[in-house]
Amino acid sequence: MIAFDRRLLSHFDWTLFYLVLLISLCGLVVLYSAGYHPDSEVNLFGVASFEFASAACLKQAVYIIVGLVLMAIGMSIPTQLFYHYAFILYALSMLLLFGVAGFGVVVNGSRRWLDLGVANLQPAEFMKLGLILTMARRLSQSPPRDGKAYRLVELIVPTIVIALPMGLIMQQPDLGTALSLGTVGIAQILFMGVRPKALLTIVVTLLVLAYPAWHTLHEYQQRRIIVLVNPESDPQGSGYHITQSKIAVGSGELFGKGYGQGTQTQLEFLPEHTTDFVFSVLAEEWGFVGSVSVIALFLALVSVMLRIANRSRDLFSCLVVFGITAQFFANIVINIGMVVGLMPVVGIPLPLISYGGSALLSLMFGLGIVQGVSMRRSMFRSG
Amino acid sequence: MANSYERSAPNNTFRIWVAFGFVLLCISILILRLWYLQIVRGEFFRDRSENNRLRMIYIPPTRGIIYDRNGEVLVRNRPSFNVDLVIEDSPNPQQTVADLALIVGEDPGPLQERVLKDGKRRRFEPKLLMRDVSRDLVAKISAQRYRLPGIAINVVSTREYLYGEMSAHVLGYIREVSSEQLKSPAYSNYLMGDLVGQYGVEANLERYLRGERGSQAVIVNALGNRIGEAYLNPEKPGSNVMLTIDRKIQAVADQALTGLKGGVVVMDVRSGDILALASAPRYHPAIFTTEISKEAWSELIDPKANRLSNRILQGAFPPGSVFKIFVAAAALSEGVITPSEKIRCPGYLKFGKRAFRCHKHSGHGSVNLFEAIVQSCDVYFYTVGQRLGVDRIYRYAHDMFGFGEPTGITQGEESSGIIPSTAWKASYFKNPADKRWFPGETLPVAIGQGAVSTTPVQIARALAAVVNGGKIIRPRLVKKIVAGDGRMLEEASAEPEVVRTVDLEPAILEQLKAAMVGVVEDRRGTGHKAALPKEFHIMIGGKTGTAQVASRESGIKDEDHAWFAAYAPADKPQIVVAVILENGGHGGVAAAPVARKIFAAYFGVPEEIPAVPKIRKRAGRPAPSPAAIN
Repeated sequence: MIAFDRRLLSHFDWTLFYLVLLISLCGLVVLYSAGYHPDSEVNLFGVASFEFASAACLKQAVYIIVGLVLMAIGMSIPTQLFYHYAFILYALSMLLLFGVAGFGVVVNGSRRWLDLGVANLQPAEFMKLGLILTMARRLSQSPPRDGKAYRLVELIVPTIVIALPMGLIMQQPDLGTALSLGTVGIAQILFMGVRPKALLTIVVTLLVLAYPAWHTLHEYQQRRIIVLVNPESDPQGSGYHITQSKIAVGSGELFGKGYGQGTQTQLEFLPEHTTDFVFSVLAEEWGFVGSVSVIALFLALVSVMLRIANRSRDLFSCLVVFGITAQFFANIVINIGMVVGLMPVVGIPLPLISYGGSALLSLMFGLGIVQGVSMRRSMFRSG
Repeated sequence: MANSYERSAPNNTFRIWVAFGFVLLCISILILRLWYLQIVRGEFFRDRSENNRLRMIYIPPTRGIIYDRNGEVLVRNRPSFNVDLVIEDSPNPQQTVADLALIVGEDPGPLQERVLKDGKRRRFEPKLLMRDVSRDLVAKISAQRYRLPGIAINVVSTREYLYGEMSAHVLGYIREVSSEQLKSPAYSNYLMGDLVGQYGVEANLERYLRGERGSQAVIVNALGNRIGEAYLNPEKPGSNVMLTIDRKIQAVADQALTGLKGGVVVMDVRSGDILALASAPRYHPAIFTTEISKEAWSELIDPKANRLSNRILQGAFPPGSVFKIFVAAAALSEGVITPSEKIRCPGYLKFGKRAFRCHKHSGHGSVNLFEAIVQSCDVYFYTVGQRLGVDRIYRYAHDMFGFGEPTGITQGEESSGIIPSTAWKASYFKNPADKRWFPGETLPVAIGQGAVSTTPVQIARALAAVVNGGKIIRPRLVKKIVAGDGRMLEEASAEPEVVRTVDLEPAILEQLKAAMVGVVEDRRGTGHKAALPKEFHIMIGGKTGTAQVASRESGIKDEDHAWFAAYAPADKPQIVVAVILENGGHGGVAAAPVARKIFAAYFGVPEEIPAVPKIRKRAGRPAPSPAAIN
């Protein structure tokens, strides 16, 4: 279907590829320990079952393989196609989000999934990509009129584009994803440039609005926000998570307790240690050295992605790569920040490491798009 | 394609660098934070994680076993099930307890109260909710465990009193340490919910029986489930105790008291070993480690039955005529009378304007010492008492025979009783007019009435001194104490612990013994019902007592206390038996047969052979009437 140009391969970013592979493998190693459960029989999606000590690790390996395929698909699709279908993807994702609000399946008290019979679909994952592409197209279509930075009025449309899906996802409620969507959109706008006056006006307006808004909230809603900001005020719920996570991280000390020796993890004091709190496992078992090493790998990957953004052929591609990078990085910071007690407890997985299919697959697809931008960066310049 | 897609990228390098700077800033903050948590405070969190996974569990020591003198087990331990709550593991402890109460069909109130009382316990330590629950309940609770987070069923050892109520007052009981006790430094080693000896041997030998608590660090997961052991500090089992009690004789004594109020004490006159010590009504020692119902509790503390009182040690009763033995000893030693001197008993003694009556209203005629003791003539002892004066009686009864002072059989728990004297009266009464001793008051004292009160164990000890050559010995209950590892901690020596020796001529003791043998073996003796059949050649000596009592509040005359104190064999005394039956009637009728059962058991005489078949056939013999004084 898609004509494959051999020249494309010459700009294939091997560093990007190897870093993704390396971080994913690190994730598998951590997940083997985090999901360790002796004598467990792993049922692989109803297809086969194995004797394997860590279900999360084995399933994640399958996700990674599927993810690599998606990555290949992502890089094969010409960037123009994303440009053309950006609004359609956004509109479809919005429809799905409305569908979730209407007919979604409730899991853990949140309505995030659409039951498609065969599999559950999480429309928010589509929206991540949809929003990045739409924002990239909108911003590249109408860059700042003075060619330098946006004025306040120019920001009205992009704000609505971000606010609509954010609002829908927030009421699921999935605060983490909503937050990460907003961050990405704002990052893209800031990348284009905003006049300092406009920026100041926005910040001041938000601060002024915050006070009356706070008082219109119900007491229980206020309490939820307080707990979000200060988890220790709820020692049974989020406070317990964060306390146990800090104990896990801190007790790792310099070199960690050793692989598979993390008492916080293995004794299940640490909640959700294969998903949202997987970094605590790494920090507990591998210590400061291990966690900093993985962070360094993330930093390297982010640098590579920024380099691709910088070298991209056109503004749209640049904004897409920047958006994907911003999302990737925002998730890293929010997740690790939460695990070490700097950020509120919101359910954001650690990219490439946390166990979970949807997030990994959509991320791999996104990384495929980044690779695609890299490969196509100078086709017209050179030829 | 004239759309903006073709718009080539402007030079974004500066913006990318700004973004990269922001990335570096965020990463630096994260790494600094990791540095702070893992390096600066690493040790602190390492400790926290250790505390998380390690929990110290106290291992209660196994309490020492109590044996009788022949090594028969009297008290041991059996496994039982306790229901505990680990508060930390329960999201809502009060709700959990309420659910538990519903399942077992109990009132949740007291259980919830138990959870609230925190004491010295920590959140992860199991808090005792229900002790010694039945297997049925264990099954019920286990089946519903998913509804009861934090509820655990633990197997612990519980005291088992193999013979039920038998020798309850000797053994005492254990009970949960009270909050008052926990406040005192003596109980600093105890935790709320611990069982501690509260009475009897269990209390007196608590420090031996208890052992030492061990502890175990266990590894638990977040659900509080034990998944392994870290280290163990083993508990030290309590020491085993061998009592001087002889289970078989104790059983006879207890049996004889069934349905009565009173007590029996059997002591070896050579060693001071208490072979049996029975008090009735009794209680079941095990009841104190269960939840005591209101009814059971009011029955326990009912002042009329006074079950918790050990009458042998704590009951101070007027000794009645039993006391005459010691008054006789004083009279002979002081020379106010000779054995052969006869005193006429017309049935009363006139003193001033009052007539003090003999229990035999028709009078005993002229009686010498032997006859006066055998027939328990009151007039004879009124006369002797007059000659002695109260202070000389006091000197013998108190200073020599040890009445009016604890025998030292146990620590605490013992009454002293009263031996009156002029000094006693002067200090006892506040009103100066009451402080003077009137000679007429000496007369009742001479027959063990008036202000005299003695405990049965004092009687046994004093009588033992008369028959063992004058040695006042400390009665003892403990033969030996052996530590859990077999070390001998304490062993009663073969020699008795002699408190003092009675300063009396051997001849006097012989005369008293002869008279006491007469009391039992002479057909006219008041204690003849205690005699064993002649063919067994075991002669018994003893003295009856019928102590008149008036209920304190009403002044209405109650049934008399029946006393009998005896020893055997007469020629080479081995044991003394003291029997008191509260409101039991006449000593010779009610108490002597009880003593006979003890002697029969001790000497292996078959019980069914009637003691005095001939006497029963004799008609017309007037039943002895109680002494009437006033």
